[in-house]
Amino acid sequence: MKKGIIIIVLLAVLALWGVGQYNGLVKQQESVNTGWSNVENQYQRRADLIPNLVETVKGYAAHERETFEAVVEARSKATSIKVDPENLTPEQLKEFQDAQGAVGSALGRLIAIAENYPDLKANENFKEFQAQLEGIENRIAVARRDFNEVAKGYNTKLRSFPTNIIAGIFNFDARPYFEAAEGSDKAPQVKF
Amino acid sequence: MKKIIYILIVLFLLTGTHLTAKDWKVKDIPMVHLQDATRYVVNPEGILSASAVATIDSILFALEQKTGIQTIVAVVSGIDGGDCFEFAYQLGKQNGVGQKQRDNGLVILLSTEERCIQFVTGYGLEGDLPDAICKRIQNRYMNGYFSQNKWNEGMVAGIRAIGQTLDGSMENIDDGDDDEDLTALGIFMLFFLIVIAISFYAVWRASACPNCKKHHIQRLHSNLLYKRNGVKREEVTYICKDCGHTFKRIQESADESYRGPRGGGGIFIGGSGGGFGGGGFSGGSFGGGGFGGGGAGSRF
Repeated sequence: MKKGIIIIVLLAVLALWGVGQYNGLVKQQESVNTGWSNVENQYQRRADLIPNLVETVKGYAAHERETFEAVVEARSKATSIKVDPENLTPEQLKEFQDAQGAVGSALGRLIAIAENYPDLKANENFKEFQAQLEGIENRIAVARRDFNEVAKGYNTKLRSFPTNIIAGIFNFDARPYFEAAEGSDKAPQVKF
Repeated sequence: MKKIIYILIVLFLLTGTHLTAKDWKVKDIPMVHLQDATRYVVNPEGILSASAVATIDSILFALEQKTGIQTIVAVVSGIDGGDCFEFAYQLGKQNGVGQKQRDNGLVILLSTEERCIQFVTGYGLEGDLPDAICKRIQNRYMNGYFSQNKWNEGMVAGIRAIGQTLDGSMENIDDGDDDEDLTALGIFMLFFLIVIAISFYAVWRASACPNCKKHHIQRLHSNLLYKRNGVKREEVTYICKDCGHTFKRIQESADESYRGPRGGGGIFIGGSGGGFGGGGFSGGSFGGGGFGGGGAGSRF
């Protein structure tokens, strides 16, 4: 009789602990998803800025057709990639990162041509775009770093004992995070 | 002897020149606001004049009183890493500038070696002080002075413009503290309830008959064992009205007739004075606001 009670109590404690761990994982997974959607939002803001920026530059530097086309193409390629944070694989993330990196460098070239067009450089609209773009690049860098932080925290918890038992039972998967290889934790230097 | 003094003077001058450019690390920047709530300008190398610092402090103090917006102005000769946005962002994030629920922190960094001015706004300020306005303030009021190394004029003009932009943008709501007080109160209440529940349970258990577990026992008589220091111990005999079982218990209770010296009379209900919130006598604090990369920077 007494043994039975002890076993029941132990089981109850174990179950309570398991529920706590499970809920903790779910909560962390949710913050990883939030972090990802924040990253996507910031990239989307940059993409939204591009058409108007290109229009403004076109007015002053109509010959730079190739540069415009490169930006527009990179943008449409990047926005066509849809990523589901729940099933994010490292390959998908790499693809996303490469596409967004291409947008970043194409934008860098677009901004750089202003050096050859003093009127454009002095244009108020263009200056405003530059300021906005700079702010967005900073926000992208912050959002990416925050995402990496929560994803790393989640992965660490997932792999460490004894949480890994619960994670194994309920099929929690590790989440990929951004590689800093191409110096992408910092905002790309868009020189003005 | 003269020679030695000469050498010492030369050495002194040399070390002096070494100090002129220093690469500051984020964690080494002294937070003067934490010592004195009316100060916001971190000016460890004296790049700004005392009167400029006083002017800026008074503008920013008025701003925080009115709106709750918390600001750091850091003026240094050089920064570690050379990335002005990153440095200013970390300065705000690591110190938690801004109120917690409203994320209304503002960091302004001027580095003379990098020749950069950087504003970093908390999430909650991005609407009232958008990047474009930050940039405009820098272009209109600051960069012109800074390019001529007129740090005082540029900084005062810029801070004035920020103060005017943000004046009346939001109300000063003292947030955060209320929540903490409520939580503390909740925990106290919970603890109190648990104590009450435990004592009820003890009384309830004591009133059960050990034979049939029913709560119909009656006290028959008691034998006094002893009285000592106002405590009497007696052996009480109970009878259960259900099953007729009689049993004895030793009980201790306060002796009402005792008139001796009282040891520690009365129930002491613990005082819960002080300790909430904390903070020094005149020191300020930062609420722990979040930053999302808002703001703008310029090089001059």
